[in-house]
Amino acid sequence: MMVGMSCSWALLSMPAAAQSPAPGSAPTSAETAAKAKAVRAQVEAALAAADNSPGAASPAPATGSAPAASPATGTAPPAAADTRSLDENTQQLKKDVVDLNRDLFVLEEELLFPANTQVAVYVSMDVGEFFALDSVTIKIDNKEVTNYLYTPREVDALLKGGVQRLYLGNLKVGNHELVAFFSGKGPDNRDYRRGASLKFDKSIGAKYLELKIEDRQRKMQPEFAIKDWE
Amino acid sequence: MKSFRGWTLTQRCIAAATLTILCLVANAQGFALLGQSAPDFALRSFGGTNVRISEDRGDVVVLTFWGSQCGVCRRQLDMLDRSFATYRSAGLHMYGVSVDDDAARARQFVAAHPLGFTMLEDPAKDVARRYQIDNLPTTVLIDRGGIVRYVYRDFGPRDEALYLNQLRELLNE
Repeated sequence: MMVGMSCSWALLSMPAAAQSPAPGSAPTSAETAAKAKAVRAQVEAALAAADNSPGAASPAPATGSAPAASPATGTAPPAAADTRSLDENTQQLKKDVVDLNRDLFVLEEELLFPANTQVAVYVSMDVGEFFALDSVTIKIDNKEVTNYLYTPREVDALLKGGVQRLYLGNLKVGNHELVAFFSGKGPDNRDYRRGASLKFDKSIGAKYLELKIEDRQRKMQPEFAIKDWE
Repeated sequence: MKSFRGWTLTQRCIAAATLTILCLVANAQGFALLGQSAPDFALRSFGGTNVRISEDRGDVVVLTFWGSQCGVCRRQLDMLDRSFATYRSAGLHMYGVSVDDDAARARQFVAAHPLGFTMLEDPAKDVARRYQIDNLPTTVLIDRGGIVRYVYRDFGPRDEALYLNQLRELLNE
């Protein structure tokens, strides 16, 4: 059973990425809902404050960082303080929204890809002298689950040590086979297409696999391998 | 059928204006992606490099869907090329997406009509489907935040001025 897929970039080292989050660190849906409610209340309060503030009717710049430029010099200090406080509130709200978004993302992943069925495939690349990556196709149990085209910037990121999560999905417990096809330009700038496969046993717990592209200096050829991170 | 001969000039003008507005509103509302995030995609260009549209976030992006057998598309591509030459330094990215069934014909077209912007192949028409393309040429204007702001589902003589105004507006944001 395979449900869903997603790709994302993570400039993380593989072992760190492979570690599942600590049980206590993940937010629960109740916590996230409470946070969302609090952020909403803050947004409403900030909007109300903005409506009631003396400078609200005037088209003041959003940054509000130039109190000296205010035309009403007699009321400048309180207006400037109000604007500064509003600006701080806005920054805090933005931070809260980003935090909430992160929590929701983690929660969504945990719901869609529970640890007992989760399988994640990462891609890493070393040197890249004999192979310029163009695309990777992944098949699990003979079913294509992803086909990813790489732009030059993405290849650069991989060469700088980035590890990309190419696929995230669900698999039932048991034996499975993963086949990965790599295409690009090989030695002497020729079209190059190679495959690698791995039979693996999915037990209870998340499964992490890494597609490794390395240069084999002795053979002057690229080498493709799939590593099973237990 | 009721005759319109009895209508005064004012009534006729009002009716024509109403009809035009309704057509414009229907055309704009028919495109569900307006105001939404532009769907991300990666396609291979005719030059061989791959392009992912999300990498251009922060700049204005113009996507135009064309076919080699569409005469209007040729005129529009020439117009777009002129605007690209003018505004590329202001942060404009432009891509032509070929939806030809015959890839060889599209390649011939690209070779015969060299343009300044990148032409992409969409042989499976996945991207055209995601952008709900039902007419050629269709041009999509995406703002710096990655939101679909304007869509042209045809190209007429009056569209050029409107397109340039809207493009300038996005570039000034």
